[in-house]
Amino acid sequence: MTVETFELKVVRQDGTLAVMEIAGYINNEAGEAVAVRARELLAAGHRKLLLDLRATRIINSIGISLLLEVLEAILEVSGTLAFCSLSPSIAKTFQIMGLAQYARIFDDCASARTALSSQV
Amino acid sequence: MAETERVRLVLPLAPHAELLPAWAIEDLGRRVGFSRDTLEEVKLAVVEACLNALEYGGGNVQVEITGFTGARPRLEVVVEDGGPGFDPGTVPAPRLEAKLHAKRKRGWGLELIRHLMDDVVIRSRPGCTRIEMTRFQEGR
Repeated sequence: MTVETFELKVVRQDGTLAVMEIAGYINNEAGEAVAVRARELLAAGHRKLLLDLRATRIINSIGISLLLEVLEAILEVSGTLAFCSLSPSIAKTFQIMGLAQYARIFDDCASARTALSSQV
Repeated sequence: MAETERVRLVLPLAPHAELLPAWAIEDLGRRVGFSRDTLEEVKLAVVEACLNALEYGGGNVQVEITGFTGARPRLEVVVEDGGPGFDPGTVPAPRLEAKLHAKRKRGWGLELIRHLMDDVVIRSRPGCTRIEMTRFQEGR
């Protein structure tokens, strides 16, 4: 495992849906960057956020706690937080936490975008 | 007869120090025959143990990783720190619903470790906390 460089890109903003691609290790700094960008997108009216984690292999509990801040902010505006392309270990981590009760989880980005775009 | 290989590390107080044991886990785990997915779960657990030790351990964190081949291939990881210690029995299991409404959303580390590893033993007293974690290649 290398110390993967963290990257965050907003790759799509269609109406109420915004898609962020996240690559690398999600720790405190990366989690904070995601939270800041998510708050900006929410303020701009994107109530549905999709986090594409296909290039993320490891996340720590501090990064997770910052994702929970994002989830809390989205739930406050009756929005939707979704994840796609999770590695098996991150999927298991989210399952341990019970995250699927509050966030939507998709196998891939295409199915996520289709489902979220049609969701009111 | 089982063969063992062992790596010992002293973690520096440096950014991403919690990731350093992952290299050894990858190497020993592959030799023991672990799948990539299982190794990633072990790494996540050990990252959590190291984060706790680095945060509360007073700056002296040691990690020992042992790979066992033979009848029950497994990885054993011990993370030890010299911090003030804690009573693991008093650490509540986190609940997502409560965390969503709480100011402090952290506190997932031990829960994740317990679910991602097959056996976890925590021995803690003032001056020494050891988290002993085992993951078997074929499950418990």
